Amino acid sequence: MSSSVSHGTGEAHQKPLLGSMGVDSRKLGLWAFLGSETLFFVTLITTHLIFYARTKATLAAAGTLEHLDPRTHYLGIELTTVLATLLLASSLTMVLALAASKVKDWKKFRFWQLATILLGSAFVGGQVYEFIHLYHEGLKLAPQYVLEGETVKSLYGVTFFTMTGFHGLHVTIGIIWLIATYVKVAKFPDSPENPMDIELAGLYWHFVDLVWVAIFTLIYLI
Amino acid sequence: MAEHVAHDDHSEDHESHSTKFYWIIGGILAVVTALEVGIFLVESSFDATLFLVILLGLALIKGAGVIAFFMHLRGDAKVFQFVFFIPLLFAFSLCLAFLKLFSNHVGIAG
Repeated sequence: MSSSVSHGTGEAHQKPLLGSMGVDSRKLGLWAFLGSETLFFVTLITTHLIFYARTKATLAAAGTLEHLDPRTHYLGIELTTVLATLLLASSLTMVLALAASKVKDWKKFRFWQLATILLGSAFVGGQVYEFIHLYHEGLKLAPQYVLEGETVKSLYGVTFFTMTGFHGLHVTIGIIWLIATYVKVAKFPDSPENPMDIELAGLYWHFVDLVWVAIFTLIYLI
Repeated sequence: MAEHVAHDDHSEDHESHSTKFYWIIGGILAVVTALEVGIFLVESSFDATLFLVILLGLALIKGAGVIAFFMHLRGDAKVFQFVFFIPLLFAFSLCLAFLKLFSNHVGIAG
């Protein structure tokens, strides 16, 4: 049995807050916010890539690139692959929660929304673990890192923690938003606003997944 | 039995998908992630440019999948696409320009 859902302003009897553009103004506002967020994250990613390239160029000039390259030494992909899978799975559970809400299947909604919250929390937990591990390995929020007893002046650590830290903060805000939506729907299951509330929280959640897709490839794999 | 929700005719355009469809998209995205990791693990067998192009292409597929089907931007109102993709275009331009201008300097301050 499959359930079909519509994606727009929600249920037929729900009054959308139509603005002059003819679309729900809350949804338009959120998309505009997400547009501004792309600039924010691309700036952080670009800054990190630039300082990694500069660090590599400096190390290559000194002939020490092979054993002092911060990316190959610090960033493993085992944990990050798990984190990427968790966020991807949470995007799936989020869209399933939205689908359940559109047909007013609140039991399924609660299940999938809770799964999304748990998967997101696991991601944040994994990221905290990674940060602690990197800190003990010598990569810190400081303009240098220590490898094989050598101190290398570089903004690699600063830009890495700033970028991934802000992403983690966004995920944490997303979890709080999802919990708030979950509680609101539980308290007011008959509210006609529910599908749109869930859709907005879901859009934000998918966006943080989208940012991780970029970080995973650009920072960890390439 | 398929359960349906009525469409709101006076709102923006939108598409209907079944839950099965979302599972399929999720599965495809998982396979693409596995491919990315697999290619990373055999990096040495690829030419550097080819490696870059393949991984960027796979990331693009994943991103497009999330935006189009999970965020439902495909088939939704055009104005949503406009307010999202125009800043994204600026962001990519900024990224490429800054990488070209500032990357290859020796020394922390360039």
